[in-house]
Amino acid sequence: MIYPMKLTVNDELIELEVPAHRTLLEVLRNDLGLKGTKEGCGAGECGACTVLLDDEPVNACLILALQADGKRVTTIEGLSKGSNLHAIQEAFIRHGAIQCGFCTPGMILSAKALLERTPNPTEKEVRRSLVGNFCRCTGYQKIVEAILSLAKRGDG
Amino acid sequence: MGNYSMIGHSVPQIDARDKVRGMTEFVSDLQLPGMLYGKILRSSYPHARILHIDSSKARRLKGVKAVVTAEDTPRVPFGPRTEDWTILAVDKVRFVGDEVAAVAAVDEETAEEALDLIRVEYEELPAVFDPIEAMQPGAPLIHGKERNIVSEFQLNKGDIERAFQECAVVYSAHYFTNQVYQAYLEPMACVVQCDPSGRLTFYLATQIPSMTRITYAKALGLPLEKIRVVVPPYGGAFGAKMETNLHLAGAILSQKTQKPVRMVNNREEDFMAGNPRVPMYIDLKVGASQQGKLIAKEVKIIGASGARAVYSMAIVATACYRVDSLYRFEHLRTEGVTVYTNTVPTSCFRGFGNAQMTFALESTLDMIAEALKMDPAELRIKNGLKTGEVSIHGWQIGSSGLEECVQKAVEASGWKRKREEKRFGHGIGLACCNHVSGNRAFSREFDGGAGIVRIGREGKVLVYHGESDMGQGQKTVFAQIVAEELGVGLDRIEVAQVDTDLSPFGMGSFATRGTVFGGNGVKAAARHAKEQLCEIAAELFETVPSQLELREGKISVIGEPERSLSFEKVVEIGVLRRGGAPIVGTGFWVPDTVLPDPITKYGNISPAYPFACQIAEVEVDTETGHVTVLQYTAAHDVGKAVNPMAIEGQIEGGVVQGIGWALMENMVVEKGKVLNPDFRDYVMPGPLDIPPIHSFLVEPVDPNGPFGAKGIGEPALNPSTAAVANAIYDAIGIRFTELPITPEKILRALKDHQKNK
Ligand code: FES
Ligand code: FES
Repeated sequence: MIYPMKLTVNDELIELEVPAHRTLLEVLRNDLGLKGTKEGCGAGECGACTVLLDDEPVNACLILALQADGKRVTTIEGLSKGSNLHAIQEAFIRHGAIQCGFCTPGMILSAKALLERTPNPTEKEVRRSLVGNFCRCTGYQKIVEAILSLAKRGDG
Repeated sequence: MGNYSMIGHSVPQIDARDKVRGMTEFVSDLQLPGMLYGKILRSSYPHARILHIDSSKARRLKGVKAVVTAEDTPRVPFGPRTEDWTILAVDKVRFVGDEVAAVAAVDEETAEEALDLIRVEYEELPAVFDPIEAMQPGAPLIHGKERNIVSEFQLNKGDIERAFQECAVVYSAHYFTNQVYQAYLEPMACVVQCDPSGRLTFYLATQIPSMTRITYAKALGLPLEKIRVVVPPYGGAFGAKMETNLHLAGAILSQKTQKPVRMVNNREEDFMAGNPRVPMYIDLKVGASQQGKLIAKEVKIIGASGARAVYSMAIVATACYRVDSLYRFEHLRTEGVTVYTNTVPTSCFRGFGNAQMTFALESTLDMIAEALKMDPAELRIKNGLKTGEVSIHGWQIGSSGLEECVQKAVEASGWKRKREEKRFGHGIGLACCNHVSGNRAFSREFDGGAGIVRIGREGKVLVYHGESDMGQGQKTVFAQIVAEELGVGLDRIEVAQVDTDLSPFGMGSFATRGTVFGGNGVKAAARHAKEQLCEIAAELFETVPSQLELREGKISVIGEPERSLSFEKVVEIGVLRRGGAPIVGTGFWVPDTVLPDPITKYGNISPAYPFACQIAEVEVDTETGHVTVLQYTAAHDVGKAVNPMAIEGQIEGGVVQGIGWALMENMVVEKGKVLNPDFRDYVMPGPLDIPPIHSFLVEPVDPNGPFGAKGIGEPALNPSTAAVANAIYDAIGIRFTELPITPEKILRALKDHQKNK
């Protein structure tokens, strides 16, 4: 069965028709060509497919597209405006938080959700927020440093 | 610090802006017009004869474009070392995951559905999973080779029996290093396109583009020129991404359909048919004098290659003797056997055998230090090879920062104080390692690196190399080296994706060789381009090329800054004067390494040898057996650090993989089947499981590395398992000789310990 649905992806309203079993990840990557969202396991275990669904980080491989009907999705492509990068993206670059980069889109979106919830996180909080995002290259240290560099210190 | 504008500066990866925006197209993102999706039918038996394959139903499924079996392949045995593979199983399957048939369809779902419709009739054969059992008389033969032995390694020096008699302490133990998975985040993937002339373009995640091409030409029965390998960005490898049937099945499907075909492993397939680490049984006996001089080493290693040899015999050989060039042993007896088993073929994983042996040796050395009542750090310093020494196997140590690494790590970790304040459950442990930057023994044919630097009219510098950036930042290092030579900024440099139609032949990225070999190759190419630019500029300034310098984007007469032109101006004039020909610099670098003698192994296998010392501090919860790593110090001799931030990143990543291996990672294989082929059950360290890692770079300028640099990839992990094991010993007085050291093992050992008291 094919169902109609609506999604607001990176501020753009999109209407599409999808079969019931299609995941949000498949819709983003295959139907919409937003390949910045990665698939590392397809089973909710690596976080490479992390996107924000109504500002909450979710594993797009675990969510059926239809479950996202009417919601807002932010993918990595929606983070930078033209050549202006988001502060988190800049911080990842500056701190060398990127190696192969396959985990990076998911990491950055998880970091965004964290910093919106908790603008001044401790190192522990940063690490905790990344538990669902697996990185095999960096050992996490520089990712944690990048995120901590954005913590709003001293103002409260 | 040298007067460098680029070398020694921490710079982000040159493609980091693309990566953070999700713009980087990884292999598994590639989409070509008309592309089909391929899937592989894999054996669910560890050892079975194929009686019959019926794919008629699968063929009839709507959307299926091709179903292929061994019949559709050349069935030529091939392999990078031992020719014991075929693209799809001929007659027999030899491990759970072995490739039996492949399907191409309009989408992945259809391809998967088609796999379910293929009927294969098997006759199960007795199977064998443990290498020791596989060597017994009467064990089922996997490739018809006597006792399933792939190869044997032997190396004896001095008089071992007498030497042990004269040692003041001798320690022997039986170690086991288990099978672990590289767990790069992007599974193995490729796109293969067959053009109408029959030429195949492989878009591959491969560490060894040029070597892969040679192996695949043989497998497909094609001349080399019919194969082109292109390497787009890919998501990690750590040794695993070399030759694989996934790519070749893609080629057969593309030949059949005349369409591009994309193949991507799902995670389970990647576990069961990937390329995990060679598990090894290591019997090690080491003797030392009363003064702590290491004298004799006897080792016997049995390694399981799984169902194909791949590189396992070279890995076992490396485990057998690489550490002999870390310390000054005088007497050696070495025996290594590599054995087929009905399990997933095992192969390269960061450390290449040296990681396995370093666990055993460095654990042993701590026991020797204890027996001698000697500081383990001192034992290492006393015996470690120094700059200018030649090891027992002929390795010429052009630079060694080992002693400084130990000192740095000891100082920074608070070693002395923490060793003294004994508290049960709390411990600190140290381990060292050596390694290579490139391995002469890997290819009999040649050793070297090459580069091409192409500068077009607009002044953009395009760098070609034949290695492979698997995500570690190699491209950026090459860009820095070229920018340094040409005196321009990084924004002027682009590093081309490896394409065997355009790039130099390169051995590829393994053996920690990228920086030294690729780096020297592109450096030579940049120098050649620079010579040409100086000739052009010399004419303009009416001087001689040797009077010119390239700095800060300008070419000027030395000492006369007012006589200068911008880099791009000189390029433009040069290109136009030459009828439009770009400035092309080509260069190569051939080190004076020496291929080891086949019998004595005497040679000099690498131009530059990196060293390291790592220290782990742990807390062992004696109630639960859980180990928390509290602090980690890693001091690495990397030669001149080209990009310190990238090197730290390598160290941090390597250490975390090492901690994972030490404490939790394990492929659970039962009757040849991987029982935990996913990220939930294959447990790896997450961001909460690891301590702050303090990295220190020790930078002796190496005589052979580019600007004095050496490699870092593998040494980052080599000593980590032993450092953790030694810290656990310091904490609870129990020596663990089998990896991983899980809470269950610790609890059991604590109980036994109590009983024996
Ligand atoms: S791909 Fe979704 S969590 Fe791994
Ligand atoms: S950078 Fe490679 S997985 Fe994180």
